[in-house]
Amino acid sequence: MKNQLHRIDLEMFEGPLDLLLFLIKRDELNIYDIPIAQITKDFLDYVDLAKELKLYSAGDFVLMAATLMKIKARMLLPIEANGDDEIEDPRTELMNMLLEYKRYKEATSTFSEMERFERPHYYHIPATWNPQQEDNTAILEDVKLYDIMLTFQYLIKNYEEPATHSVAVEEVTLSEQVGFLNGLLQAKAKLSFAGLLEKFESRLVVVVTFLAILEMLRNRQVKVKQSKLFDDLFISRGSTFGN
Amino acid sequence: MIYLYQGVALLEINELKQIVEALLIATPEPLTEARFHTCLGDSGSKIPLQEVIRELASDYEKSGRAFFIKEVAGGYQIVTNAEFESYIKGLFSKSGKLRLSQAALETLAIVSYKQPVTRNDIESIRGVSSDSSLRTLLDRKLLEIRGREDSPGRALLYRTSTEFLQYFGLNSVKDLPRLREVEDILAEDDNELV
Repeated sequence: MKNQLHRIDLEMFEGPLDLLLFLIKRDELNIYDIPIAQITKDFLDYVDLAKELKLYSAGDFVLMAATLMKIKARMLLPIEANGDDEIEDPRTELMNMLLEYKRYKEATSTFSEMERFERPHYYHIPATWNPQQEDNTAILEDVKLYDIMLTFQYLIKNYEEPATHSVAVEEVTLSEQVGFLNGLLQAKAKLSFAGLLEKFESRLVVVVTFLAILEMLRNRQVKVKQSKLFDDLFISRGSTFGN
Repeated sequence: MIYLYQGVALLEINELKQIVEALLIATPEPLTEARFHTCLGDSGSKIPLQEVIRELASDYEKSGRAFFIKEVAGGYQIVTNAEFESYIKGLFSKSGKLRLSQAALETLAIVSYKQPVTRNDIESIRGVSSDSSLRTLLDRKLLEIRGREDSPGRALLYRTSTEFLQYFGLNSVKDLPRLREVEDILAEDDNELV
């Protein structure tokens, strides 16, 4: 069996379910009646090989190996009937997972074909810079949550905490920062997030202020605009500001 | 020829074709019927975009242009013909468009059929962690986050985007080929075994 395994292209599997489907197909096994002992052995051989070659973090494969061994053990136990006198095959759940995965794996090849078909076509995309738009912060009106998260990740990098072990209680709460931002927005129509960060010294205050912005965004107390990814965020008054 | 609608002269067809052509060149996203009517204002509310597009498309075909009008993501866009790919590639620093990995395609397939879905939904079908695929797909704007699940944990929900439809040349997610039923797969497997 080892010899045969070596002939498998080791990187062709997307995960344990993919490998199991391969083994079932290769050995022409019946998916209704999977020979658990055989497939567990083949699967473990493969995982050992993959581990030797440090192919991937084996986590998902180890989890499946454990599932297979659990099923194998349960198959050895005397069959116990449940309340309805129906005998549940310990392999049922695995079979359902394999079939469900197979549906999407098949669809994947359709997507791959569509991709190949569309690849040679290029869209006409006009320049995004529009000279008539004076306020360039308004270009990206439709800021997505994901963009905001990326920008935050980028900005917070400057706040690496020194590795110390003193524990100090920092007095900063979400509602405090909401109040703080409200105060600033009373005085000024537009705030720069990067500008705000300059005032803060600790990572915690930055995080809590960011959460406060998200909270206010949710309540429509503020609006957030950004001209491009990783650029500064501009905070202005929202429709329910001051309510 | 004057464009008539219910006996009312609206705009001359050549002028209309030029307007639509200009809109197609400048539009940052697929030009929809609704957007077209917004652009035309009152005068255009009764002109069906589809008909003007059909006229324009046949002009392009007759005169042998290097592009055509594609119906995508619920609207229309100008797209180059496939035979010019090798030249167009030279415009970009990377060798043409990048292809999606198998893992990313699997993730995308699951999201497109089951949306909105959480990361957990995806991972329980694929049996592998799908963090990096999701990240790639979000970075390439093929997926977007659309709210959170209404249950404990409030997991993020993922959906396909307009860019997804453009990337795969689809007019809507309804145009995706039907997912095979488990019963069909089993029936086929039985045949294989015989």
